Amino acid sequence: MTHAVRPTPRRLDAFTLASEPGNERLALARVADCVADVGLGAARLERLKTAVAEATMNAIEHGNGNQPEIPVEIEVTQNGDDITVAISDRGGVTHADSGDHADPDLVKKLDGEQSPRGWGLFLIRNMVDAMDTSTDGQRHTIWLTMRTTGDAHDEHV
Amino acid sequence: MTSMCEATTRALPGAAVIELRGEVDGSAAAVLNAAYERAVEAGHAGHAGHDATDSDPGTVVLDFAAVDYINSTGIALIVSVLARARAERRKVVASGLSAHYREIFDITRLSDFIELFPDLDRAVSQLTGPAA
Repeated sequence: MTHAVRPTPRRLDAFTLASEPGNERLALARVADCVADVGLGAARLERLKTAVAEATMNAIEHGNGNQPEIPVEIEVTQNGDDITVAISDRGGVTHADSGDHADPDLVKKLDGEQSPRGWGLFLIRNMVDAMDTSTDGQRHTIWLTMRTTGDAHDEHV
Repeated sequence: MTSMCEATTRALPGAAVIELRGEVDGSAAAVLNAAYERAVEAGHAGHAGHDATDSDPGTVVLDFAAVDYINSTGIALIVSVLARARAERRKVVASGLSAHYREIFDITRLSDFIELFPDLDRAVSQLTGPAA
């Protein structure tokens, strides 16, 4: 019997950001730079950028409470066809339970029955191929995975 | 937070155009709300060759051609503008969205309520043309 050998994850980048509103733009730019040559199509790259920005914004705002001295940690790895971005904050369980987990309902929002906000997690889920979260004490991490081998119909750019 | 969003407005027969530039995020709230009010007022005030009474901007055009970033808070702002326009019985259309943001308008279902045009010229010609 032969076994497929799964490649060892390769770290593409790791960095931290101060928890200040707006720094999600730095995160998406740096992640976009480091995955520029891994073979993501243009449309899938745009999706990953949006997911990274939203997850970083959540980490800054809900995880670290906009306290600049508490860093958001970001690590980008490649494992075969999978590009994974891990974004960690210190929000712990409180943060993990505070997200907008239910799908937003636009009709209810337009009728004033729901806040106009609450799109972040919904966008993330719809942008990437897989999303996972974990909490270890105060450390809360969201993993965003995008395959470099997306369907052809995904490429609309 | 300093807004990286700018907006200019202009009135057309029966429509008001808001041309957005930069980033539509949480910091754009004041800019977008002020632009909406300005655009509607400009429509009410009339435009060259038309009576003010005939020029209520029944349609608000949001042009995103010069927008390079929209986040979830920006989506919430657009929802708020749409809700306000609907309450005032105005239609909202959008032009100039990139393929990525068109996809986001589809995913969020905003495109069920906001007609999308490839560019401002096509939006304006459809809204102000003979059949409009």
